[in-house]
Amino acid sequence: MTDLFDAEKHPSTESVRQHLEGCPECRVRFEQEQQAFDAIRPAQRIVASQHFKERAIKAIVREAAREGGRSKLQWNWRYWARWAAVPVAAVLAFLILPTLPIGDWWHSNAAGITLLAQSVQAMSKIQTVHMMGRMRTLPGDNFELIGPNYEFVPLELWSEYSNPPRWRVEKTGRVVVMDGRSSTLYISAGNEAMSGTPLAGFVQWLRPLLNPGGILQQELEVARAGAADAKLTDVNGVQTLNVRRKAHGDFANDWAKNKSIPESDHTCVYRFDAATKRLEGLQVIVHAGNENVTVLEFTNVIYNEAFPPSLFSLPLPSNVNWGVDPASLKPASANLNGPKEVASYFLDALAREDWDAVLQVYPVNRLSDEIKRAFGGLEVVSIGEPFRSGLYPGYFVPYEVRLPDGSTKKWKLAVRNDNPAAHWVVDGGF
Amino acid sequence: MLTTALQMENWPQTVDEFDPLIEATQDELVHFAFYRLGNHDDAEDVVQDVYVQAFRDRNERRHITGVRPYLFRMVNNRCIDVLRARSRQSGDPVTDEPAIGENAFSSVAAREQAETLSRCLESIPEKEAEVIRLRAFSELSFAEVADAVGSSVPTVKSRFRYGIDKLRRLLCPEGGTRNELPRR
Repeated sequence: MTDLFDAEKHPSTESVRQHLEGCPECRVRFEQEQQAFDAIRPAQRIVASQHFKERAIKAIVREAAREGGRSKLQWNWRYWARWAAVPVAAVLAFLILPTLPIGDWWHSNAAGITLLAQSVQAMSKIQTVHMMGRMRTLPGDNFELIGPNYEFVPLELWSEYSNPPRWRVEKTGRVVVMDGRSSTLYISAGNEAMSGTPLAGFVQWLRPLLNPGGILQQELEVARAGAADAKLTDVNGVQTLNVRRKAHGDFANDWAKNKSIPESDHTCVYRFDAATKRLEGLQVIVHAGNENVTVLEFTNVIYNEAFPPSLFSLPLPSNVNWGVDPASLKPASANLNGPKEVASYFLDALAREDWDAVLQVYPVNRLSDEIKRAFGGLEVVSIGEPFRSGLYPGYFVPYEVRLPDGSTKKWKLAVRNDNPAAHWVVDGGF
Repeated sequence: MLTTALQMENWPQTVDEFDPLIEATQDELVHFAFYRLGNHDDAEDVVQDVYVQAFRDRNERRHITGVRPYLFRMVNNRCIDVLRARSRQSGDPVTDEPAIGENAFSSVAAREQAETLSRCLESIPEKEAEVIRLRAFSELSFAEVADAVGSSVPTVKSRFRYGIDKLRRLLCPEGGTRNELPRR
């Protein structure tokens, strides 16, 4: 059974899976082991920072230089050019730095650190937080999805710092409740639900907002290290701290750029109550090209509100379509070895209205009638080459289809196989 | 996916050859080191040190096949050194330092999870935890994990099986499966 957890496919896994289907005892055992393994798989993909490779190469070049010079090595002139650029940059910095308003920056930074430290202390005493705001996103879509051109959709968070903590995040068409033991996601459009541990990634980057004190603590540490591009302003007693961030991720293809806040160049604007020093509001402005667009804002933050117990329960319709673990899907009848193959298999299955085949690569227990109506019998016009983008751990596959209603859809399927069984699944994008 | 750099038969011998190796492995090694150390800067420091050491020892390692698992072995060993040093300094094996310069939102969540995972894996024997970390925090196969820890594949699988069984007993009371958010 251990082979089912391998990154490589084994000839024996098919017979083991067949055994599991007929042996409830082994199946339960395997499902529990799968849950344990999934629980310790990191939800977030960490990547090297933008200039890491350059730094590592320079360190190797330095090591090579220590070994006695260029003649021993088959160096490429490009490395010499990069290495030579360092002292030039140092000289330029020396010339330019005195022209910057260092005094103002230092004063602003010092005042910002003081304010953040006061706020962190004030936030440590709260029992609950309730944040109301809006976000430029699509109703019902991922909590992390943003788009500078999307309309604002209401967004609301409740967090209770009890033992264990409980929280709820809701926007139009999508809600997640964490009741202290597990979290449940419900998407009303497809009548779909998913269950997970308290750390399940259902709310993704919004999760830290459930503990705004933690974010401010993080900003404080960054500011103390002098590593943030931060600016403090005080207008009529309202103190705001602007912190500018660069986009994270691989943008050799920029499809995912500006589709989530971490994947965008952005500024966080924290607004503090002058008297209590608590966080009073938060705004996130995305810098897309020459445009600065507010994509998220919380304008109403209530502390220590008593929440009704019903807030942390999520009654679901009896006919809900449960999402299933990708690793537990039945193997596809075809041998799918890559992102393009799984995209082709999925679209062809929709074209044939072969719902069993769709469910082999789309991890839900059954398809909604809405999906069947919208995509059943589609005609595949083209499937492009897969690519990676941003922080997404899988691939995007461009496609064009003609839908049953006569319209044409040109978009990208999101596919991935980063589950323990390395099972290729369609993750969205249709 | 795997590039030719990851499928190298032999250890890279020149700066030119290290370039594609770093390109191909930097993210997965930093990811692994981050979830061992809970700190992005420390993770990058460890991985950079490993690349430099890999270059410094390139002659001695010329015969090694399977460069990628060996790099994981080096990163894992270096992380253990860092954790021991931290433990000596503070008595706490997991630091609470921030990932300076990171996005505040994503790094808070990732650090929180790194700490939770670290605590969880501390509750099982270290040899079993080591195998589970290498399998769960990377995309290494059991055969590659065996290369990384210097053991046989059957030993690695048996450590994984015993370890995951212990984790199952610890974690199952929470119930439910953990699913990644779909991007639809």
